[in-house]
Amino acid sequence: MIRKIAVVLALTLGAGACTKDFEEININPTAPSEVPLDYLLAQAQLQISGSAGDPGYKVWRGNFIYSGTIVQQLASVDDYYAGDKYTYNADNSGAYFADSYVNSVKSLADIISQASEDPADVNILSMARILKVLQMHIITDLYGDVPYSEAGKGFISQIYKPKYDPQQAIYMDMLKELDEAGAALNASAYVPTAADFVYKGDVSKWKKAANSLMLRLAMRMQKADPAAAQTWAKKAIDGGLMASNDDTFKFIHTEGSTASRNPNSYNLGIGRGLIKGDNFQWSKTLIDMMKARKDPRISIISQLANGDKTVANQKGLPNGLDKSSGPNGLVTKTGDGNIKNYSRPTDLMYDDDDPNILLTFAETKFLTAEAIERGWATAGTAKDAYEAGQKAAVTQLAAFDATAGVVSAADAQAYVTANPYPVAGTLANKLTQIHSEMFILTASTFNHYEGWSNWRRTGIPALTPTNYPGNLTGGVIPRRLIFPISELAVNEANYKEGVARMGKDDFLTRVWWDK
Amino acid sequence: MVLLLLSVCSMHSYAQEMTVTGKVTEEAGGEVAGVNVVVKGSSRGTTTNDKGEYSISVEKGKILTFSFIGFNSKEVTVGSESIINVSLTPEATALNEVVVTALGIKREKKALGYAVSELKGEELVQARSTNMANTLVGKVAGLNITSTATGPGGSTRITLRGNGSIDNNNQPLIIIDGIPIDNSNLGAAGMWGGGDRGDGISSLNPSEIESMSVLKGATAAALYGSRASNGAILVTTKGGKAGKGIGVEINSNITTDDLLITKFKDFQYEYGMGRNGVKPTTREEAMSSSSFGAKLDGSSVIQYDGVSRPYSAVKDNLTKFYKTGSTFNNSVALTGATENITYRLSLANMNNKGLIPDNTLDRQNYSLNVNGTLSKNLSILANVKYIKEKSHNRPRVSDSPGNANYTLVNMPTTLSVETMKQSMLDDRGYEQVWGDNIYVDNAYFAATQFQQDDNKDRFIVSFEPRYNFTDWLYAKARVGFDKYFYNYTAITPTGTPYQPLGGFDKNVQSFSEVNSELLFGINRKLVGDLNLNMLIAGNLMKQVVKQDYISGSSFNIPFFYDITNINPASRNASYNYIEKRINSVYGSAEFSYKSYAYVTVTGRNDWFSTLAPGKNSLFYPSIAGSFVLSEAIRLPSVISYAKLRGSWAKAGGDTNPYRLSLYYGLSGAHIGSPLAQINGSTVPYAGLQPLRSYTYELGLENRLFNNRLGLDFTYYDRQTKDDIVAASISGTSGFTSVLLNVGQISNRGVELMLNYDLIKNKNFTWDISYNLGYNKSNVVFLGDGLESIQVDNPRSQTAYVFQQVGQPFSLLKATSFVRDDQGRIVYNAQGLPLKGDLKPYGTGISPYTMGFTTNFRYKGVGLSVLFDGRFGGHLYSGTNALATRYGLSKESLVGRETGVVGEGVNEEGEINTVSVPATQYYENLYNFGEPFIYKSDFIKLRQVILDYSIPARVFGRSPFKGVSVSLVGRNLAILMKKTPNIDPESTYGNGNAQGYEFAGVPTTRSIGVNLNLKF
Repeated sequence: MIRKIAVVLALTLGAGACTKDFEEININPTAPSEVPLDYLLAQAQLQISGSAGDPGYKVWRGNFIYSGTIVQQLASVDDYYAGDKYTYNADNSGAYFADSYVNSVKSLADIISQASEDPADVNILSMARILKVLQMHIITDLYGDVPYSEAGKGFISQIYKPKYDPQQAIYMDMLKELDEAGAALNASAYVPTAADFVYKGDVSKWKKAANSLMLRLAMRMQKADPAAAQTWAKKAIDGGLMASNDDTFKFIHTEGSTASRNPNSYNLGIGRGLIKGDNFQWSKTLIDMMKARKDPRISIISQLANGDKTVANQKGLPNGLDKSSGPNGLVTKTGDGNIKNYSRPTDLMYDDDDPNILLTFAETKFLTAEAIERGWATAGTAKDAYEAGQKAAVTQLAAFDATAGVVSAADAQAYVTANPYPVAGTLANKLTQIHSEMFILTASTFNHYEGWSNWRRTGIPALTPTNYPGNLTGGVIPRRLIFPISELAVNEANYKEGVARMGKDDFLTRVWWDK
Repeated sequence: MVLLLLSVCSMHSYAQEMTVTGKVTEEAGGEVAGVNVVVKGSSRGTTTNDKGEYSISVEKGKILTFSFIGFNSKEVTVGSESIINVSLTPEATALNEVVVTALGIKREKKALGYAVSELKGEELVQARSTNMANTLVGKVAGLNITSTATGPGGSTRITLRGNGSIDNNNQPLIIIDGIPIDNSNLGAAGMWGGGDRGDGISSLNPSEIESMSVLKGATAAALYGSRASNGAILVTTKGGKAGKGIGVEINSNITTDDLLITKFKDFQYEYGMGRNGVKPTTREEAMSSSSFGAKLDGSSVIQYDGVSRPYSAVKDNLTKFYKTGSTFNNSVALTGATENITYRLSLANMNNKGLIPDNTLDRQNYSLNVNGTLSKNLSILANVKYIKEKSHNRPRVSDSPGNANYTLVNMPTTLSVETMKQSMLDDRGYEQVWGDNIYVDNAYFAATQFQQDDNKDRFIVSFEPRYNFTDWLYAKARVGFDKYFYNYTAITPTGTPYQPLGGFDKNVQSFSEVNSELLFGINRKLVGDLNLNMLIAGNLMKQVVKQDYISGSSFNIPFFYDITNINPASRNASYNYIEKRINSVYGSAEFSYKSYAYVTVTGRNDWFSTLAPGKNSLFYPSIAGSFVLSEAIRLPSVISYAKLRGSWAKAGGDTNPYRLSLYYGLSGAHIGSPLAQINGSTVPYAGLQPLRSYTYELGLENRLFNNRLGLDFTYYDRQTKDDIVAASISGTSGFTSVLLNVGQISNRGVELMLNYDLIKNKNFTWDISYNLGYNKSNVVFLGDGLESIQVDNPRSQTAYVFQQVGQPFSLLKATSFVRDDQGRIVYNAQGLPLKGDLKPYGTGISPYTMGFTTNFRYKGVGLSVLFDGRFGGHLYSGTNALATRYGLSKESLVGRETGVVGEGVNEEGEINTVSVPATQYYENLYNFGEPFIYKSDFIKLRQVILDYSIPARVFGRSPFKGVSVSLVGRNLAILMKKTPNIDPESTYGNGNAQGYEFAGVPTTRSIGVNLNLKF
């Protein structure tokens, strides 16, 4: 009996200590430890665009609620659209920052780390580096000094509290990255095609995009560091820029899952229904300007709530008003308090499968024109570049709709004629023309981040600030967004160092290039 | 039928011997199992079986001693009768109280070296709650129960002696009849909203419960190892009892729930809907959530539906919207016995209608308990429970989407919920947008058009054969499992303003935990007065969770809610398989000397599958001693009983599976290319090792004045080392947390229980009792150079819960005002306060908990009143922050006409004179957490029970054996609180971060009647 008990006891204890299959049990059977880099590259693009992660989250807050309304491309009588009235909503102000780092920046850091290990992945590596610049420049333009060199490296380098890099250093590194990545692209190595939602594996177009982005960044530094701006602008132009609307950098979206849908469209249409909900409209500043310039795009991008696209009937919404009948009410200031009578984006602009356009051939031409005027480039004339930009800008809306978005060559030429380049004018006259075009260009592609940044550098067009009661800036147009409060909670020392270097964490502090 | 084995020592035979058999009963009539029957002056003895029967060989003229803990011993001289039936009388005092301890072992309380509190089932039955855990509030010193403001069926947070881990489970292990059950929350609200889908303990049927033992600390629960490092709650359900025929017990209970706070007392009713001091004049303008309009004048003003109504305050929105909830509980139990089998079968049905329209919760509990004696050495206990739970439209809380509660605390003064009811849909059947934030739904649309359905089928089964080798050696096997199948479907309806095409989410989940235990027990006298009680055992635990998720957005055909109607391209499906194992061996040895000195030593080793190979084993020893002074030495007669106890234990724990390395998530495809990204937002740690905790406790039990005054005092000290913490890191690292394995937390505290029998005579008794728990927590270490980590935050993102070195657990921090040297608030040039640092405002967990009970009994009538209170904690109130932001709070009245000139100074140090319009001033104030932090102290009249038992003699020869009726009130009044408008017990989450509320389901006052029939 005792022996039997001893045997059972020994088995019991033995079983307890038997842990040889524990290692295997603790491997997650439903999630892989490695995936093809193409898959990661594909997802990273959707994260930059804003459809993956929390669909439309950062786009709604960063692009529409703040950037678009601040720069008076959009307007809203809804107090939720805080940029319209320079009021502060902590959550919305910090959203673009908070969402990007944990999605796109994280993925890109991972791809760059993995792809660096194998020379065969040089094209994936280079695309990821270019994409990272695209993402990071939007972040730094919106907020100023931000985590950059240590960002996204929580797993790779165990950096849990990234430092805030000075924007100047970020710009210098981004330019270097574009230069190196553009040069490293190699058509004879492996090229991702299905996973490339921009150029379908066309390496030469990526090179042009890298140079065109380099030109954008170079011109952005025009005030802060003109010498470097000149050097990099020349390098970009010499390297080869986008040559037609076919080269425009845009993420292709489709109908289907939320990650596939255009994130701007998701907000305006199927996802949040902001247009049908009358949440925001085109700004009076924009519509008046387009009307004055006889812009053929107006009937493509603008309509009233009842679908009326007649140019004469288009009416932009003034910024800084509310829907009350009080002193700042829409009805008080305009006599027409019916929000349905104001222009808003047309349906064709927010189809699920519209592309998310982030860097255009037209912009490249306008910036080239400016570079030529500043004597930083010699290729061609500023007038030619400007006119090519105008034509490209008005005809590219076909990307939204292959029929209703088309502007004929004749209409495009008429637009050029109506808004001629002031060849004999002052530099200020010329820049006013160039950047008025940039203003309409960025508005008509929902690229409000770029619209706001370009306005901050150039001050064109001249905007009249609003001074809604209780705004945070005292009636001055904001120059940056306020960081998410969470950074104070989880990265206090670095956050404070970054803020101290810039001044204050408020709307009026100017980022480095905004002098 | 053959009875129990004769003792080994009695194998010889004597000429004069005879076999005596009989039955031992208690005075009240039931049989008593396990009674020691000993031939006095010899070592010969036996015990009674489950039916109270015994058989023993004895010489004529010898004396048989019958003894059992809790009863007076009885001696009977053996005559010529071969059948001796004995009736035992209970001991007059409760000195020899028996409690259920770890592994279900019943022990005399005086032998224990640690604190155990036992609760009887009866009280839980009368004062029912839809979540049983709520009925434990205020009854046990050191037991902290936090209910959530999530409606019926929501979860509770139970902690004993503070929180030992920052990130891991801090709740005690729940064990039902020896089977650990999963008490995890199946879905909780987070900062983005959601609903609470309940936990494990909430599903139990109080009528089935015989008793609950609360093992407060690791020393009490040492034998359970890692899983009970936060203590354990042992639930013993009722078993069968031998008796005449079949016993029937019927219990019926009806409870109604009403709002405890029927009106927001600190809301303003002077200004109406609108912004900037003006009334709306158009329908568009009337689509506003703000109450910053004009002064109320009763004039006719347009509302969001285009209808004009008087511009006057609506004060009864809460009582109009929240209906009276009701709960019906009915249970039937059959108990009975045959020669070899005792059994109990019970069925219970619970139907609850919630406060919020359309919210229901239904539960059926089926239970069968069978105890059979198969042969003279083999007996089997089998226990089967089936719980079916079904809920419709569990309330959503926290953030606004689909959350009716949010709408109620945010809708303008002049808007009535009646209007929302009338004008809910537009002519397409879509929600009529009523405010300026599309994420805040019409309250009725949120309550009735959003759909959440869940059901859970749960089986808790145990099978426990026991074999007695000798009278001092036995083996017991126990195979038990807890399995449930859970199904959840949520519909975002067509026409939801922020998602017009709707959405669909389905989660099918199965959980299974199987425990297989084999145990050997020895119980024998060593030498003289020294006894040994020893066991050695092993257990294999296997836990598997399988989860299927199916979701999609955009229904092709409006209003038809099925996954097949979702655009195929936008359907998502995923599957998770989560497995975890713990292998264990353990043993315990208890030595007792006479009846006053006891020492228990235990040891357990756990091997965890979730930790790093080579680091996944942990040994926990414990030692506990008890010394009954009053039996060892002669004490003054005023002291009836005095005992000292002390214990020390090591415990530990693991974490969730799959945290050692990085994984990727595949997430569909986009135009032909598959998509993938890093899974999760936590940086993994390959070297995870067990967290450890060391606890000691010292206690004193005293009874004075002829047992009338009882005192029980405990001091404990619990130190956690190597805590596994997912520490918050900057999102700019790409991740939001990192796994660290070095945390240290200290919890020290005292527990005090006092009771006093004020009056005790035959017809009238009056006693009072008081319990107090105080726990001082301190975060000692988090990581090298790591001073604090952020744990959680509510939707406003202005308050945060931190763990910070040198501070108590769950530190509440919030965005503060910038202040000058004199503490004055600093304003910017526009007159708005400057945003300062995140400042600490104290812990969100109340360190003091207390309860006071008084019981009266006159003949068959009893009255029991329970007060409880909590002190020392803090709360951020999102509800009050919203009320200020939207102009609903009284605070927002200041400066309505003139603008707000904030009291303080400008950046130059001069007195601030800049006036800001009220609308913008208060909207901006929402970005600050500081003004909305309150002390969460309260005293509540928690429970009153009035009961009447009809005396047995009334029934005479009728089949009835007992009838009792009770009238029960729960949460009757808040006698003291510091939070305007809300109940301080209104948190929406039961996680480790405690300290904020946000638009939860209002607290209810329940009144019920309970009827109990036995025949």
